[in-house]
Amino acid sequence: MVKLFKWLKKYALLIVMLLLLAAPSVTSQYEFYVVQRGVQNAIHVLGLLILIGYSGMLSLGSAALLATGAYTYGILLVKVGLNPWVGAALAVALTTFIGTGLALPAFRLAGPFLVVTTVGFGEIVRILILNMEPITGGAYGLAGFAKLLPSTRWVYYLMVAALFLIAIAVKRIGESRLGLALKSLREDEVAAEVMGVDVRRAKMVSFALSAMLAGLSGVFLANLTGYLSPDSFTAAESASYLLMVVMGGMQSVTGAIVSSIVITSLPEVLRFLSSSRLLVYSLVLLVYLRLNWVRTGKGSLAGLMKTLGFPLGTGRAKDRS
Amino acid sequence: MLKINDLVVAYEVAPVLHSVSLEVQAGKIVTLLGANGAGKSTTLKAISGLIKPLSGSIEFCGEVISNKRPDEIVKMGLAHVPEGRLVFPGLTVTENLKIGAYTRKASRSEVKSDMQKAFDLFPRLAERCNQLAGTMSGGEQQMLSIARAMMSNPKLLMLDEPSLGLAPVIIDSIMDKIREINEAGTTVLLIEQNAELALSISHYAYVLSVGEVVLSGDSESIAEDKAVLEAYLGGESEGRTD
Repeated sequence: MVKLFKWLKKYALLIVMLLLLAAPSVTSQYEFYVVQRGVQNAIHVLGLLILIGYSGMLSLGSAALLATGAYTYGILLVKVGLNPWVGAALAVALTTFIGTGLALPAFRLAGPFLVVTTVGFGEIVRILILNMEPITGGAYGLAGFAKLLPSTRWVYYLMVAALFLIAIAVKRIGESRLGLALKSLREDEVAAEVMGVDVRRAKMVSFALSAMLAGLSGVFLANLTGYLSPDSFTAAESASYLLMVVMGGMQSVTGAIVSSIVITSLPEVLRFLSSSRLLVYSLVLLVYLRLNWVRTGKGSLAGLMKTLGFPLGTGRAKDRS
Repeated sequence: MLKINDLVVAYEVAPVLHSVSLEVQAGKIVTLLGANGAGKSTTLKAISGLIKPLSGSIEFCGEVISNKRPDEIVKMGLAHVPEGRLVFPGLTVTENLKIGAYTRKASRSEVKSDMQKAFDLFPRLAERCNQLAGTMSGGEQQMLSIARAMMSNPKLLMLDEPSLGLAPVIIDSIMDKIREINEAGTTVLLIEQNAELALSISHYAYVLSVGEVVLSGDSESIAEDKAVLEAYLGGESEGRTD
């Protein structure tokens, strides 16, 4: 039993990827769309894992970066008439640039003050999109752009491949010298500085990487829906991305991917409950988090496994300090 | 090795150091004594680049460092063990030590051999290498903080009140380790409130009072001058009685 779980843990990422590759063949069209959205969210959430999980900088404006990526792609294709691949590259580049700029307030702000700044940024972007009607289509939304690849299925495979590569990269970053610097930032900024970590550069890298993945996720979002509207990029959306990072365990790449897909599909799975759906959704989340916080001090998949009594090796003890 | 000339430091508008000059010679243990609020920690922070001085110069190994960033200063071989230890509580002991070697871009095997040295110095840390730093006792955290600073292979190690909040037995063992580190070739600048303790292991001492150096000399001669110490450090009541 223990052996089986060790094995499962070792190959978890691979197993999840294989399941995702098999998804188009075993799901209905609607279910497939939900899985697609899950994978697209997972790319975004891996970026947040670097920013929130590794570096400890809480952002509630991530939906705005997603919007930047999606809208840049859409506008470049519809209004400028660029090739989709060029548009995608430029969209990711612009989002990375803007996201890196978000690191500037983070030089001086931390904790709740940084959160407020990112919320403000999120609202600014959403309202800009709403009001720059000639360019963005305003409340009518933006449509009529081409996909990266002709068939939805191929876009999906491209997305899964990207997710796989990104997952490995994010995992490697976590174990690398850069990852160590980011984690030291999360633990104690003064101590990190004294150890010779260039705090400003580390913050910028963290924001840049997370914005890059948000931009890429935005491009895929535009590809999936074929229609963009400012309503999909509200602060509530940002909060649900935060939820995905937290439920995934804040440190685990595989956890982040699984939790992205689960949380994306949970409202759809609960749809049969009709009017009490949101109530049950919140209850499921609350119970899940509560159970894990009590037993392990961490609300995570690993924590859930532990709560259910599966031996998974070292669970982190609660900090004493 | 380290030379400070007419250093003036202020937080916002309130001046903390008026005119501090001191010198640390290579191979020695130099201690900086002073009561609460005398400006000891501020001096260290200014040396390691955490605060920019208003005027005055700080020279390290013949190079002016007062306008350099903290990470550049660490790279030059100056390590700072901050007040209150400041270990990374959510990271393991091993991870904490790895961050200590952050600026060196050393190879894995080099880091490993240095980590072995740290474990030889503090065998206690080897036992706890996979434990989260935040779950350890104060003394163990202080050991980790010193070991972490040593991972950067410093020429000069600056310690900010390593005895803070520790039991007397632990303090003795920490002081022994500091002497050991110095004997192995690292120069040490030690900050202490506990004058008797610091003077017992150091070669040279400066006494700081309200942002100014009021006294300096060989540790032995300063230790004999009880009346002066009492005047500036609030007497022996702060020292240990054993």
